[in-house]
Amino acid sequence: MTPVADSLRPGRAPDRLGSRTRALARAVDPLRLAGVAIGVAVWQGLTMLLPPIILPTPAGVAGRLRDDFWSAPALSYYGLTEPNLYGNLLYTAQNVLVAVLAGASIGIASGLLSARFPLVQAGLDPVVMTAGTVPILIAAPFLLIWFGVGRTSAVCLVVFYVAVTLHIFAARAARNVDPIFEQSARTLGAGSRRVLRDVLLPATVPEILGGLRIALAGAWGLEAVAELLGSQSGMGKVIEVLAGATDPQGIMAALLSLGSTAVLADLLAALAVARLTRWSAAAR
Amino acid sequence: MVVTDSRMIELVNIGRSFRRADGRTVAAVSDVSLTIPEGEFVCLIGTSGCGKSTLLAMIAGLLAPSQGSIVVDGREIDGPGPERGMVFQRDSVFPWMRVVDNVEYGLRCRGVAAPERRAVALRYLDRVGLGHVERAWPRELSGGMLKRVAIATVFANGAKVLMLDEPFGALDYVTRHQLQRVLLDLWDDGRAGTTRRTVLFVTHDVDEALLLADRILVVGAGRIVDDIRVEAPRPRDTDTLLRSDAVAIKHRLLGHLGLERPLAQGRAAGAAA
Repeated sequence: MTPVADSLRPGRAPDRLGSRTRALARAVDPLRLAGVAIGVAVWQGLTMLLPPIILPTPAGVAGRLRDDFWSAPALSYYGLTEPNLYGNLLYTAQNVLVAVLAGASIGIASGLLSARFPLVQAGLDPVVMTAGTVPILIAAPFLLIWFGVGRTSAVCLVVFYVAVTLHIFAARAARNVDPIFEQSARTLGAGSRRVLRDVLLPATVPEILGGLRIALAGAWGLEAVAELLGSQSGMGKVIEVLAGATDPQGIMAALLSLGSTAVLADLLAALAVARLTRWSAAAR
Repeated sequence: MVVTDSRMIELVNIGRSFRRADGRTVAAVSDVSLTIPEGEFVCLIGTSGCGKSTLLAMIAGLLAPSQGSIVVDGREIDGPGPERGMVFQRDSVFPWMRVVDNVEYGLRCRGVAAPERRAVALRYLDRVGLGHVERAWPRELSGGMLKRVAIATVFANGAKVLMLDEPFGALDYVTRHQLQRVLLDLWDDGRAGTTRRTVLFVTHDVDEALLLADRILVVGAGRIVDDIRVEAPRPRDTDTLLRSDAVAIKHRLLGHLGLERPLAQGRAAGAAA
């Protein structure tokens, strides 16, 4: 029973810009900044009690991040292709991007299809159920056999994870679409293609994008772990060699750069979600 | 094959049965034959579960009959079509489209050019009193406003037959009466032009049927059990409901709905004759 405000009338470009700035403002709200500040303060406090080999100081980690970001010659000594954090971060980010795009395309398509066609569901459900309950990493040995050591195996692992996650979200979203919308579209003259494009896809967008953000968050961690499978680049590999060298300061600098990148990616995804689901109050 | 007479809807021995969970088959509609001329405003009335919504869904093409055939505007129907518009009891306005995009959706499906369909949509939005919210999202509207959007949508789409399945059932008293007027006003457009649109309106409300209908069909246990003509002149108002012929019809309907004893029904039927 919301009365319609006068401001609804002209809302075009300013409205869009407004939602973007609002989404940005939400992401950097003061409470979050306060949380970060408290976290850093606690960290600083703990460093006074613990030796630096267990817990390096915030300032030390920040300095290390600044130094290592563009140039960390020690990394090439450990056999990494890129002797800096920047290059490895880019490698990891590229893999995540490719894997999320490929995995999302596969998972959304298969999820929507299995919600519509019982035969597809019967074929895919056993695979998805198994993959959804068993830790995905157990697929790693097979991927190593099929694709060998390196980038392909890591990306495939993440593609698989993202596809399974989005399959589940997309199938559930499609089953949740109220049939009245399709019935209404058909009585207005919409054919099957229009029903897909104008009803099924837009109606499922909020839930699917929610799943995409979850898959994206998980993809960073999984990609880093997958890089341990004999890769010569990537943040996972960096952290592995630094752990071997007992370098907690370096590890934390690497984690900080990886974490910030993941947070930034999630922020961009959140902006895209807000842009695409303006119609839905629930998605906000 | 085009039938040139005024029969808009023709049902021949329509039946529909459903298989229940326990495996038994239940007939929701059985052996209904019916002819509705073009431009007639028909109300279907009956108790819950009597089959009136099933009947409507079959004419809309959303449900295939188990037997019999349905001919609308000279063509046997085979699925939904834009010549038969439907207003549902629940909200069917697409939440992901702005109000004006919803209203012009049917025209978009048929490839009408953007400026033209926009003009039609805005005209009908104006007619239902929503000219000021064309750019709003449906979630910003009240239940009554969403019904107005749904009505504007089917009228903008130019359907010859309009089906409304208890469209105002969930609305408050005032909104319901406002929307009855909006609907009659749009239906009455036909008077100036060639012909009115044919309307099938499912309702529980006896007074609503008396205010709207040219003809009231009483549905009971999947069959048409009575077919009553309402002769009261239009426009109708509260006084119409007090006319002796209207009161007689009301008694007859209440008898069918099981709210009055058959004695009263017999007396009312006698009075109407």
